[in-house]
Amino acid sequence: MALKAKDRIRAKLKEDETTVRLLLAHPMHTGRGKNEVGELIPAEFIQDIRCWRNEDEVLTIKCGTATAKNPYFSFQLAGGKLGDKITIRWVDNIGAKGSAETIVG
Amino acid sequence: MTDKRFEQRRTVLKGVISASTLALVATSGLLLPQRVLAHWPTDAFNSKTVEDALLALLGQAEIADDEMVKFKVGSPPSYAVNGASVPIEVQSSLKDIQRIAILVEKNPNPLAMSLELSPSVKLPFKSMIKIAEDSLVIAVINAGGKLYKTSRMVEVDIGGCA
Repeated sequence: MALKAKDRIRAKLKEDETTVRLLLAHPMHTGRGKNEVGELIPAEFIQDIRCWRNEDEVLTIKCGTATAKNPYFSFQLAGGKLGDKITIRWVDNIGAKGSAETIVG
Repeated sequence: MTDKRFEQRRTVLKGVISASTLALVATSGLLLPQRVLAHWPTDAFNSKTVEDALLALLGQAEIADDEMVKFKVGSPPSYAVNGASVPIEVQSSLKDIQRIAILVEKNPNPLAMSLELSPSVKLPFKSMIKIAEDSLVIAVINAGGKLYKTSRMVEVDIGGCA
């Protein structure tokens, strides 16, 4: 059995900005793709990603089916300090959930 | 006597109504988990044209092109070998950005993603999207109540919207 891929998150403080990089493990099926036998693969894609810094919600990403497989996001947060906690949570269209968190380093 | 009959009729009616509502709810898919996410703008993501998507998402589709939005698609820019994961990067000198939408004109559902930013988020924002065929990719930024748009033509070798 394949090892289950994990959601990865990195946050790095550089000068006055925190750079957050996020890689989620998700197949992102659009509902239009076919498997080897030619059957349609049902839609399964992340719809909603939320990101918190400590207790504050900083970013909401709503995804459609056109977000690539194993979605990757990168963005900057103004300010911040070492030891801030960055948390993300995602939900997909069939209700699966995931979360990841990291400490700014 | 008449009262009792009325009462009976009432309960029967009530039963019918609740049963039919339940059936309606069940068939309309309201009980499916995706409907629980009421805040996911289903209309916008399911619309088939760029105009419809923008109307559903932002309430208007008329936007002026603007140089303030810097926007890169593909690597090297404007070209992607594999449409299944095309890197994009949105950068802007605009202040007070509330929302960013990224759309791919020729995709079956053009709206690829929609971001809601708090004031502490700074650009550039980078991500990967799928592009079905050679198409215009559009970034729309809502900053301070105004909409700004930039678009890029991207050529794709292998379509990637499967």
